Amino acid sequence: MKLYIAEGNPQCVKVLAALELTGVKCEIEAVSHEGERLYPSSLSHSKQKVPWYIISQLMSGHEHNGLFACLHRYLFDISGQKATDATNEWLEWEATSLQPAVLQSLHMVALQGKRVEAAAVMKEPLKWLEQSLSKINSSFLTAEAVSVADVVLWAALYPLLSDSCFDVGELRSVRGWFERVGDLAACQAAANRVLHGKGVEALKTFLQKHPATQTQRRDSPTN
Amino acid sequence: MCQVSGVIKMALRELSSLERFLGLKKPNKYSSQGGKKVPVLQNNNGPALIGLVTIASHLVREAKRPELLGDSAERRAVVQQWLEYRVTRLDNCSKEEVKVILKDLNQYLEDKVYLAGNVFTLADILMYYGIHHIVVELAVQEKERYLNITRWFDHIQHYPGVRHHLPPVVVLRNRVYPSGHY
Repeated sequence: MKLYIAEGNPQCVKVLAALELTGVKCEIEAVSHEGERLYPSSLSHSKQKVPWYIISQLMSGHEHNGLFACLHRYLFDISGQKATDATNEWLEWEATSLQPAVLQSLHMVALQGKRVEAAAVMKEPLKWLEQSLSKINSSFLTAEAVSVADVVLWAALYPLLSDSCFDVGELRSVRGWFERVGDLAACQAAANRVLHGKGVEALKTFLQKHPATQTQRRDSPTN
Repeated sequence: MCQVSGVIKMALRELSSLERFLGLKKPNKYSSQGGKKVPVLQNNNGPALIGLVTIASHLVREAKRPELLGDSAERRAVVQQWLEYRVTRLDNCSKEEVKVILKDLNQYLEDKVYLAGNVFTLADILMYYGIHHIVVELAVQEKERYLNITRWFDHIQHYPGVRHHLPPVVVLRNRVYPSGHY
């Protein structure tokens, strides 16, 4: 299996963290995000489909060569952690509600320096997460052990919540959970590999080349 | 608000059609979450489940049809990819987006019978439900331009027990299917 990761793609954090955590062996190749070079010709169709995702190449000649969007699920699946109703629910929320807000917020922070507005965009999803976490009795989202849901949500939020200037209010439960997941060596390594300790700044070039998606426009209060 | 309630009604109708397809005897109770157009499954034996894909996957497992979610890790990931595509890209997409989606999907289906390759899965069902309102509006020429989508769509709408709440879309088979295959 070979994984192509685009420099500065915020989505790479979740896949790299999942890879480290599950211990799945995989060759990683960093590619630039310049047009076609990112995409081996056999995967070219995937480019338009979900530009945000990382492309992976499974065993050569495999029917699903080019599988990319749900790689984090795949990694947990082959390492023996099956999807449950609880993980599905969190992953669906991440994809439909959290991710559009995160991307919009990242654009505002990295390209426009609008931290206050960016924090406002995150208010609603973070409130939902805070409410949900405050009702949970376990250390992580779905159990006492970390799951794919924790890794994916943590990775989505990492570029924003690790920025000390990004003020989203108190959010005690979110902060506690965010630190527990972030303490895992796998998550630290993944974040460093993508952000190089530079925070949102490291994502700037990538974000410039990937303007707001349709999902963001839809959720944008100005539209 | 009208539009929101229309979307949630569609999602709920979709879930009850899926229940019937799966042969689940007791219909479930659904509601929607706040002002959002997200379906919620009220579960007597546990906490409520939120989200179309989450609920649909739950129903499939309840009906003991796990193969509809994929029979291998690779296929499961491909199925999930399309389920995610449905709720993140297809739902509420703009007019310009529709063209991109049709072009991509048509290209993707060029060498495939179903979305996950050669087996029918939940991805086909939810993508069919989600794209129906787009395909129903296509002119004859457009149906021919997006030949692979039309073929796949026609195949799924004739798949036993899938269509239920949706009207059939007329497809001129002699154009869509090469001569000799029909």
